[in-house]
Formats: sequence, C-alpha cells, structure tokens
Amino acid sequence: MKGNKTLSDARLLSAILILSFMSGCAGLPRDRVRLDRLSDCPNQTADTLSAEQNKLGPLSDTHALACALNVLRDTQDHAVRRTALGSRLCLHLAERELNSEKREKFATEGVDFAEAALAQGGDGDGAVHYYLAANLGLAVREHITLAMENLGRLESEMKQAVALSPDIDDGGPRRLLGALYLKAPAWPNGIGDLDKALELLEKAVKDHPGHPLNHLFYAQALWHDGDEASLSQAKAEFALGEKLLAEGNWGYSKEPWQKEFAEFAQELGESGPSHQ
Amino acid sequence: MRKICLFIVSLLAPLAVCAAPNPEMIVVCYPGGSVNVKDANGAMSSMLRVVERVGQWQENSFNSVFSTKPDECRKLMTEKNPKFAITSLGLYLELRNQHNLLPVAQPKIKGRTSERYRVMIQKDKYKSLDELKGKTLGGTVLEEPSFISKIVFAGKYDSAGFILKPSNQAIRALRSLSKGELDAVILNEQQFGGLGSLHLEKPLEAVFTSEEIPLMGVVANSVTTTEEERTRFGKALKEMCTDAEGKKLCELFGVESFVNVDEAVYEPMVKLWHEGK
Repeated sequence: MKGNKTLSDARLLSAILILSFMSGCAGLPRDRVRLDRLSDCPNQTADTLSAEQNKLGPLSDTHALACALNVLRDTQDHAVRRTALGSRLCLHLAERELNSEKREKFATEGVDFAEAALAQGGDGDGAVHYYLAANLGLAVREHITLAMENLGRLESEMKQAVALSPDIDDGGPRRLLGALYLKAPAWPNGIGDLDKALELLEKAVKDHPGHPLNHLFYAQALWHDGDEASLSQAKAEFALGEKLLAEGNWGYSKEPWQKEFAEFAQELGESGPSHQ
Repeated sequence: MRKICLFIVSLLAPLAVCAAPNPEMIVVCYPGGSVNVKDANGAMSSMLRVVERVGQWQENSFNSVFSTKPDECRKLMTEKNPKFAITSLGLYLELRNQHNLLPVAQPKIKGRTSERYRVMIQKDKYKSLDELKGKTLGGTVLEEPSFISKIVFAGKYDSAGFILKPSNQAIRALRSLSKGELDAVILNEQQFGGLGSLHLEKPLEAVFTSEEIPLMGVVANSVTTTEEERTRFGKALKEMCTDAEGKKLCELFGVESFVNVDEAVYEPMVKLWHEGK
C-alpha cells in the first residue's frame, strides 16, 4: 500500500487553507467524468480487481486506473463495494488530473464510493474513512465555503482512520490529520491546533520514516512552531524528506511532491540560512 | 482577529476606476498572529480578486503585503507609505501621527464594535492583578507591550511588571496556564468567547477585565487619500456584506457588517496612549 494516497496530502493543505479564497461555489459536482478508451481495457471483474488491488497505485498508468474504475462503477458486488478500492482509484485519478473540473468530479466520485462503502457495512475499515477524507479534501479545495463547511467531517473521518488503520499509506491518516490541524484556522476560529499537528506528525515520522511527506509536513509544523530549535529540526526533517523523495520511486506522485518541497524550501530559506 | 484582518483586506477598493500600472499596495499588520505570511499574502491576493469582481474593478488593481511582526510593520508603513492599511489598535495609536492615519471602517461582530481584554488565571489562584506582578503572563497579544500597559491596563499596570511570554498560539498558552506552566494568560474578546469549547484540566477565571476597547479596522493616510476615496472605500465595505457572494464571506468570518467610524471613537484611546506609562 506504500504511497497509495499521494499528493492528496499536499492538495489538502491547499484545500483547508482558510486563506486560499477562491470564487464561490454551489456544491460538489454530481456528474462523473467520462472515461476514454474503455474498449482497450482488459477483461476484468470486480473480483479480479479486488484480488490485485495492491497493484493499482501511483505507479499505475492512468488508463489502467480508468479501466478498473469503470468495472467498479458497474459492479453490484457488495463485498467489493464495501471496501475503499473505488474511492482509492478515484483519488489516484483525481490527483493526476490537471483539469480542475475533472479533478473535482473524480474526487467527488471517490467520496460517493466511500459513502456507499460505509452504507454497506464498511464503517470498520479505516481505509474507507481515510480515502473519504482525502477525496473530500480534494473536492472542496478550491471552494472556501464548502471547505469550511466540511472541516468537521474531514476531522471526524480522519480521526476514525487514525483509530482504525493508522498505518495505511505509510501513516497516511496521521499525516493527513496532522496537516489538517496545521493548516486549518486556529482556535478560537477553527479546529487548527499546532500542538496536535506536531504530535501526529512526529508519530507519523517515527512510525513511517520512509515516506517523504511525513518529513515534509513535520518540518512544516516545526517551522510554524517558531523557535530556533524547532527551525533547526525543521531543516533536518526537510532535508531527510527531500532525500527520500529524490531516491525513491514515487511514480506519478513525485512531480507534485517536488513542487511542494520546493515551495517550502523557499519559506525555510526566508526564515533562516539558505536552503542547501 | 486574524480572519477579520484578512477579510477586511479583501474588501479594499482600488483607488482608481482604471487599473494602475503599479497596483496600490495595502499594508496589513497583525502582530502576534499565527498565520503563515506566505499563506496570508496568497490568500489576500485571492480575496482581492473576489472584491474586484464584485465591485467591477479591473483585476490586479491593487495588492497587499502582510506581516505579523510589529517592527516589520513599522518598516513597511515607512517604506510603502500606503494609502490604506489594516493595523492593530496599538500600531494605529503609535503610527497615527507619523503616517496621518485616519480610521475608515470598523467591523461589527455580534452586534459590537468594541471588545474587552481579560487576564485569565487558574480559578482562585490569585485575587488581583497586583498579585501577579513578577509572575508569567502569556498570550498572543503581548507582541505590543505598550498597548497592554497603556490601553488594556489603562496605565494602571505596567506590562513590564510581569514576565511576558508571548505566543502565537492562544490555545497553547491556555494549556500551559491550565498545567500551571504559566501564571496568567491575556485574551481578547474572541478568545475569551471560545473558552467554552476547550477542555482544560483546570477551570479558569478572569482576574482582570478591561474597559471596552474599540475594534480596529481599516485606516487611511489622510494626506495621500481624498475624502472621496475614503468615502468610496467605506461604502464598498458596507455593501460587501449585503452582496450575495460577499455575504457568504462576511458570515464565514463572523462579521455582521462594516460601519463607518468616526475618529472620535478612538479619542479616549489616543488620550490613554499619550498619558500612559
């Protein structure tokens, strides 16, 4: 499952920035993205996809993900629909989609898949909550009123993911919840809480030191902490995360993550010695 | 207050109908704020675009620069010499003569255009502010100790009499207070109003409550702006909260409306500032 949830973390950061005001919105898009070249898809069933679901991730090509999603759209297999698979596939597709309208449609479909999974008894599966939150964050990222309306739900779903499956996606639930607390409006105006963010992200780094974003987000939290010792530690965490990113095979996630690292490098550089 | 500051800046009208070759710079100062400057600047830019659309002004007519550090704010005010600015009350009082600052608009929150500050302690631990002398005092509003001494304490207490522990996280300061790591924490009205949502280990109480202090909003340089510009700006602020899209933003930030403000509202504060220790 390594790297299954990828740049949604980074994008969620943007989504939950109270400060990133964009134009208003009416709500999440309800229509689906039309998938192309389906005639080229291999013969697959929900069962076969479920059996091989770990092969579908950031390293998969987009057409393979679209073919898999198409199968899941039509399946009535309750066992499969109760899992996070459909939601996860939507997230992968959304993350790599450059068109914002399509991205939101994929993410919204991912929320729908997760909600359907919950309705069919998937409530005890942390991955369902995790991918629901990741997709929801992605879907509302450019709509401040929607983002604010959904902060409570994002927190609730992420908390359940942390409680049920803290280790999926290399500590993804803690990483995502930590990012939420880091970037959300702080008390008394919101749920933002630097202490909680530091605690969650430190734990994510400790338990899953191989994931670049764990180090990046922890570095960001340390940087927000503000004192000299934290700044020094932030730089060390940043350097470690950057090294992991450069040396690892992160598939489609690599490029957007590099962008995230580059943006934070600029902030680090402005607050102290130049980034090395 | 952070959100209010950011909200207000989104409402700033450009100073001319046609876009200027160089956008008019708005200085936004929020001492003690926890907001990331990069995020704030980016957000304000986005918010300004919303205002430009709502007010049918040309895009990118104006820009903003944000700081949470008082020294940097002073420098920005000098360097940029902005026509309009958003400052804390403390910075307004300090810089008003130097930059000919004139209040233009105030936010109204929960029916009020003023607030009280409170010094919070663990319940029953101290009986008065006098007992706190030489003790630790935390909070987000301590970046401006002169403001605390002269305005919040109305010159009756000197903030230098406490061991000040400024923080950009109010909730962290309150946790420290609850654990006994701090002796007291000073809160603004919004923070005090949010105490009910916290689950702290020990109950807190206010050992000091200030008089009513007017909320600070937008100020203008009275020399470099015209009366017409200031009036237009105030009108834009008021209309924002009745506009369909603007209303959502107002609700989001908890601001009921914006009101024009007379300089006289701040006269008691100016008096305290000059008389204060």
